[in-house]
Amino acid sequence: MRIFNVLFGILILPALSALLRFADDGELVAALKQRDPDAMAKLYDRYGRLAYSIIIRMVRNEAAAEDLVQETFLRIWNRIQAFDDEKGALGPWVLAVARNRAIDYLRSAEGRKIETALELEALEQPAMFQSVESGLLNADRVRRLKRAFEKLTPNQREVIELAYWEGLSQTEMSERLKQPLGTVKTWVRTALRTLREELGEAVVA
Amino acid sequence: MSCDELSDLYELYALGALESEERAEIDAHLARGCPDCQRGVHRALLINAGILSCAPDIAPPKRLRKRVLASVGVETPAWGWIAGWGAVTAALLIATLWYSAISRQRTEELAIARRQVAQTDAALARVQQVLDFLDAPETRQVSFGAGQPSPPRGRVLLNPAKGVLFIAANLPALPRGKTYEMWVIPKGGAPRPAGLFQSDQHGNAVHLQPGPVDLSTTSAVAVSVEPESGSAAPTTQPIIVAPAAGS
Repeated sequence: MRIFNVLFGILILPALSALLRFADDGELVAALKQRDPDAMAKLYDRYGRLAYSIIIRMVRNEAAAEDLVQETFLRIWNRIQAFDDEKGALGPWVLAVARNRAIDYLRSAEGRKIETALELEALEQPAMFQSVESGLLNADRVRRLKRAFEKLTPNQREVIELAYWEGLSQTEMSERLKQPLGTVKTWVRTALRTLREELGEAVVA
Repeated sequence: MSCDELSDLYELYALGALESEERAEIDAHLARGCPDCQRGVHRALLINAGILSCAPDIAPPKRLRKRVLASVGVETPAWGWIAGWGAVTAALLIATLWYSAISRQRTEELAIARRQVAQTDAALARVQQVLDFLDAPETRQVSFGAGQPSPPRGRVLLNPAKGVLFIAANLPALPRGKTYEMWVIPKGGAPRPAGLFQSDQHGNAVHLQPGPVDLSTTSAVAVSVEPESGSAAPTTQPIIVAPAAGS
């Protein structure tokens, strides 16, 4: 937890640079739809490092991470035609697909792949990312998100980690942490409210 | 469940980390176009992207880019490698040419130095020979040219064991393709060739013809101008004739 918190602060800048470009992705999506070879290179150059960072953070295995990054971009390439280049949020979509590939990998290792794969599939449909104002997620707001994360208690940070990086449900967290489900739900709810307070108001506006 | 009750669950919903009952509730709200839930999920997607973006930054291996592009049929140009190898090759070529030039220059300098050393050694040997010649007690000396208006002047030294040493000044400049040739003239015999030599720019010359010489039968020592390759017998009138018994 502490390590994550430290790294969260130190290594946030590369991620910010990617986020700052979220708003410029419309042309890139259009070029991808036209099967422009340069567009795929641009897509990788824009999000490849971030996708790899997310996946390696989750699976902690370089060979598997490379496979999953490749799978992520292949999936984006194959589904880009359904993506709305004017209203879609490409960055959040790529990151969600990358995370879901890693979650799929982790759950597969635990024998839970089949029951969750369809759920993840539904959550990364291009339509899910339509009308998401990704331009609102700028560097300043991500810094605020970081500060908000630092305000969390150790228990709150831990449940957020388990949800984001391991994909655990609240029941699974309760079992993992040997804490009552109600307590875990309180930690999760409080943590997410804290994060929203920093970020959410502007996003919702 | 009301939208308000669901509002704390949107992020977990977008992560796929909700229990099935709660997920079904949100699915139902979204299916009927619930604006609050749609907005809430959109916000959750952004929050999730923001949190994921804060993963510790780790650079992927360079090969991954090529692999990803190849997987969708995009070939990465090899210009980077070609340019890299081209630069290395050019650098090696330049280094080779430079080394070759330096090496050639060094070789030439070394050859010049060797020639100079050889010339110096030869000059020293000749000087030593001349000194030995002069030091020998049996050496006989004759002079020539003294008293003439603008003559070559000098000395001829004869040593029975060491040969004939010719020392001259005021030698006339040689025409192109010509050389001086010394002759040893026996009494009642034809002149015998005794070596070729050149004068320096001031008309000075020192020439040693090594080898035994019979002073009793030698009449004179002469010098004539001959073709560069020398002659078996004088082809011009000698410019110097020094009688062996002159001194």
